Amino acid sequence: MIKQVENPILEIHDLTVSYDQNPVLWNVDLSLPGGNLVGILGPNGAGKSTLIKAIMGLISPTSGYVKVFDKPLNDVRARISYVPQRESVDWNFPASVLDVVLMGTYGKLGLFRRPGKKENEIAMKSLEQVGMSGFVSRQISELSGGQQQRVFIARALAQQADLYLMDEPFAGVDMATETAIFQLLKEMTEAGKTIIVVHHDIHSAMNFFDWLIMLNLHLVASGPKELVMNEEMLRKTYGGKLNLLTRVTDLIRQQDFNPLKS
Amino acid sequence: MTFDSNAFLIIFTGSLIAISCGFLGVFMMLRKMSMTGDAISHAVLPGIVIGFFVSGSQRSLEVIIGAGLLGILATLMIDWLRKKARVQLDASIGITFTLLFAIGIILINLLAYKVDLDQECVLYGEIAYLPIDSWITKSGLNLGPRITWLAALNFMFVVGFIYLLYKELILTSFDESFSSVMGIPAKGINLALMSIVSYTTVSSFESVGAILVVALLVVPPATSFLWTKSLMPLLKLTAVLGILIALLGYYLAYWFDSSIAGMMVTVAGIFFGISVLIQGKRPFWAKGTSTVNQPFGI
Repeated sequence: MIKQVENPILEIHDLTVSYDQNPVLWNVDLSLPGGNLVGILGPNGAGKSTLIKAIMGLISPTSGYVKVFDKPLNDVRARISYVPQRESVDWNFPASVLDVVLMGTYGKLGLFRRPGKKENEIAMKSLEQVGMSGFVSRQISELSGGQQQRVFIARALAQQADLYLMDEPFAGVDMATETAIFQLLKEMTEAGKTIIVVHHDIHSAMNFFDWLIMLNLHLVASGPKELVMNEEMLRKTYGGKLNLLTRVTDLIRQQDFNPLKS
Repeated sequence: MTFDSNAFLIIFTGSLIAISCGFLGVFMMLRKMSMTGDAISHAVLPGIVIGFFVSGSQRSLEVIIGAGLLGILATLMIDWLRKKARVQLDASIGITFTLLFAIGIILINLLAYKVDLDQECVLYGEIAYLPIDSWITKSGLNLGPRITWLAALNFMFVVGFIYLLYKELILTSFDESFSSVMGIPAKGINLALMSIVSYTTVSSFESVGAILVVALLVVPPATSFLWTKSLMPLLKLTAVLGILIALLGYYLAYWFDSSIAGMMVTVAGIFFGISVLIQGKRPFWAKGTSTVNQPFGI
């Protein structure tokens, strides 16, 4: 079940990525419409992070190409923002929360120029949006995991991009914060931004995303939530993991979610 | 005590070198690349020899260019071994710099009849001879010690480099993939930093020697990092430490009648030891939650 769209904001064509000759993503071919909250689902090792890294050019694909806003990646970098996994950086780095959020504005500033008043305002507003304005001058080493995650999201917001790619942004974030951030992301998509989130929780995925990409080395599904969230797709994605599947069916039952109805 | 111009010149030059190395060292440390600095300081040897061979002079531009190129080559080799050959970082550093250094020694031996250069000169250096090695123009004008000029020029390069690329250096040190996604060339910034480290190594090796340059790259930043967790104070403290190290190093060396460079590094080591003891003993409530209000100072 792969739905292609007209005038996609992101087009991935026959993408294959391998590490040391071992392919970790096979022939991924999909296109995404703009203004959507997109979730990437799949079991561990399915290539979810690899997919978004390949979209951003952090990993060079073995074959295939990626087009963003109908242009090659290098022409539109300023319009793309990234929320990496929290563990990817050293939080002992000598910087305050504001310093990190200001980094989001560096791309637009260009070489040699320093952030000024305008950039400071953008950073403060972004911190407010994630509910971290009380921590502006806190050292980043003194933050909890969830707070670090929110700082990373604020940094991406400060970049004022059109396409956001987030790698597990809700790992270690409590339910209340997760809902609040999802709400924020919803508002952003309503303003025309596209947000792609690598996510592991099927339950909240059903509630929040508009569009789902299901991945397990191959692309299993890509389409509007109503079309692709069904047992068959989930079984193909998570195949064999019976325990998980029972839980999923339970969840579907609880949600009174019947794919046949729609 | 009367004003001793020689002592002043030595301390002044020593401070310039210690501060230049310290500033670069802070960024090397933040990138977890302190030992790459070590590698570079040894790996530049073949470049120096080749530059020397080509130009016939130890003080020529060719020597600096040769060393700079070798520094970049060493960085690329380390990176390549780590990423493509999947060798661990420490092992790839060890392989790269010993190999390049060995090539340098072989070159020195092969070209020995032509080159007035030996390993000791590169490895140890002697800052005490600085006042007698003056820069005299063709018209006979004495402009003062050559090494002091070199150190001052290097200091200006380092400060200018850090000033201009401050935010890029911070961002690429903290989160390389984020900066790549934004289109800030993380690799280019990294290579620029490595070339300026190579240049600093070369322009300092005559006075403090390659081994002691490494100490100045690593020890003062590591000491400052024990005291502060924000970048601007970190740089300032490193600079103050650099001056103190040069000052105390000189007078202790004078007192014990020993090597100045060696004493400078010993002083640096003592500062570090004291900092570790004090910071280790400080009760947790005295550390508290920091309330630093100044972001980077930009």
